[in-house]
Amino acid sequence: MKTKLPIAIAFLSGLAMIAVFILNPEKVGDMEGELLQWTTVIGGFTLLLGVVSIVRVNWRPVVRRETGWLNNAALLLSVAVMAIPSVLPVSWSPLFGTDGGSIYDWFFINLSAPMMATMFAMLAFYVASAAFRAFRARNAEATLLLLTATIVMLWRVPVGEGIFVAIHPKLPNLINTYVMGGVNVAVQRGIIIGAALGAAATSLRIMLGIERTYMGKT
Amino acid sequence: MDFWQRISQLDRRWIYLAVALAVIFPLLVPMKMKLGITPEARQLYETIEALPDSSVVMLTFDYYPSTVAETRPMSIGALHQMFRKNLKVITMTTIPLGGPSIADRTMREMAELYHKIYGVDYVNLGYKANYTAVLLGMGSSIESIYPSDQYGTPLAKLPLMQTVKNYDQISFIFIVADNGIVDNWISIVNAQFSKPMGAGVTAVMAPKFYSYVQAKQMTGLLGGMKGAAEYEMLVNKPAMALIGMDSQSLAHLLIIGFVIAGNVAFFVTRKKKESKG
Amino acid sequence: MEILGLWLAGFFTLSLFSFLYKDNPFYGLAEHVFAGLSAGYEVGLVYHSVILQQLVDPISQHWVNAAAGDHPGFHIMKIGFLLFAGALGMLMFTRFFPKASWISRYPLAFVMGNTAGIYLMSELHGRLIPQIAGTFVNLLNPLNLIIFFGVLTTLTYFYFSKEHTGVLGGSARVGIWFIMIAFGAHFGYTVMGRISLLIGQVQFILIDWLKLVKPG
Repeated sequence: MKTKLPIAIAFLSGLAMIAVFILNPEKVGDMEGELLQWTTVIGGFTLLLGVVSIVRVNWRPVVRRETGWLNNAALLLSVAVMAIPSVLPVSWSPLFGTDGGSIYDWFFINLSAPMMATMFAMLAFYVASAAFRAFRARNAEATLLLLTATIVMLWRVPVGEGIFVAIHPKLPNLINTYVMGGVNVAVQRGIIIGAALGAAATSLRIMLGIERTYMGKT
Repeated sequence: MDFWQRISQLDRRWIYLAVALAVIFPLLVPMKMKLGITPEARQLYETIEALPDSSVVMLTFDYYPSTVAETRPMSIGALHQMFRKNLKVITMTTIPLGGPSIADRTMREMAELYHKIYGVDYVNLGYKANYTAVLLGMGSSIESIYPSDQYGTPLAKLPLMQTVKNYDQISFIFIVADNGIVDNWISIVNAQFSKPMGAGVTAVMAPKFYSYVQAKQMTGLLGGMKGAAEYEMLVNKPAMALIGMDSQSLAHLLIIGFVIAGNVAFFVTRKKKESKG
Repeated sequence: MEILGLWLAGFFTLSLFSFLYKDNPFYGLAEHVFAGLSAGYEVGLVYHSVILQQLVDPISQHWVNAAAGDHPGFHIMKIGFLLFAGALGMLMFTRFFPKASWISRYPLAFVMGNTAGIYLMSELHGRLIPQIAGTFVNLLNPLNLIIFFGVLTTLTYFYFSKEHTGVLGGSARVGIWFIMIAFGAHFGYTVMGRISLLIGQVQFILIDWLKLVKPG
């Protein structure tokens, strides 16, 4: 009941998708659409798990006034100001709901989006620091990596492209064709082939109940 | 402590400051350097140009707000071309955090610019969870996955969606993404439904997708802000990506300088240590 | 409201950037607000795109059709399916109750199996086969030849079931040279991507917020 039934469910739902792939979708009728719709609905609910979890984790420090509880309170307040107006009917006020002009949209455009972009923008500083501190030509392989990185960094920007064109007009094209379209394609393809085999094998393991870590402790 | 030792122990905050200045300076003093266009970007542009007027195309907003600097200019460039050509555009997103809002805002702005009518010239399907199921499900029936659009209007009430039931009625798919979803578009939609597609992806992802272009699983590719700038040039609408290219140039030169300085400092100090010890 | 929004965006952007100097209370606040807003965003999204659009609205529509006598059996069945899907989704919440958390394995197993089934076929049919096919094209062309040898030597480098000696060792050795070039290119692109994201935020500060620079 706790383990065997989920394994059977995983096997059958996987098998259904394989059947859809092999048979003409018309022959399996509406079954495919129905099953996929269930998957998207369950997927939606799983997103809410994270919300409940983050609220639970931050609620306790606020109630107990633990160190830094004000930050936890700010988090809970942020959840509330975004979530509550979004579920209220638009018929009550255009500020409710999730459409353009709503409170939800305002907070997303003015706070969420710029903050998320800033979090990632900070990586530029770290990558520059790493280039200075860790990118060393210690041996032949590392030197090759470093040289290619430098060439590609130059080639991808107008100033570098200008330098390459000054050396030979066809040089930027040659880099695109032979470095990116040649050597890079070969290695990426090797990785893609390996990843595809790995993903297919893992899928099979899930369907057969060999891989069951998604169930937690069994 | 000599010069090179000092260099090798430089406080990281000086590096940060230099990077910030390298990005800020060209925005204040633009250099407007010439930019080349890669064959992959041109191929994508020409494929869309070759579509007959009023064809239905799909444009995806599969990216988070974190990468809008690279990806949003691609979406805007694509919409300039699609709306100018009077193509009918269906958009959707597989991104739960911000995807629907970015799609909504971008589509509204661009539709207003080209006087396009919602439901007739374009439709925004919005978001549904579990993207593999979404991509596969739309192959048999878009309505089974999206009973209604982003705004809750049933698809049956939208004139454009009365002629579009699944991928069969869509001529081309333009994916703009910052994550591995592009692999699924290729392995599910291109492979099983033979849909031609091209992609605009972040620079971090771009090298991988050359392999799909070579294998003809993809028609064209835009890589990062440079790719977006190329597309802005192709559609003749220079905007934020092209403006950013000067900063990109200077920052790259700076980082190359860091790599050289870091290596020189490393080898000089190592040699000194060896000669002492 | 637009100006307030811009200034709030500017304030939180600078608060996050301040971490580059050192950790501080502004960064801590911004980090928590960001996490809270992200969680709140999901509530609105799921409520509208799943609960209303995939469950409540279709169920009401089927109910109206069934009540009107239009193939009532079909519509009742559809309502049953939708209620079942919703119930499966609700079962995910049993994870918060240790004694009943095993029940959440049912919907999870359904999604995992379903996705595994899709992946099993699509990875083999949609990625593996086309990528292999793309490797064996006109080997008289020097570019195709580079790709062919590159794929072969890369795969041998990642093949660990046999010791890398003899021909296999030689091939793996060539493979590592290919890999280093490709990873170098990838690093170059990664630097580019990270710088682009910073440019985006600097453009926001200088152009949209402070209006120190006019675009174009």
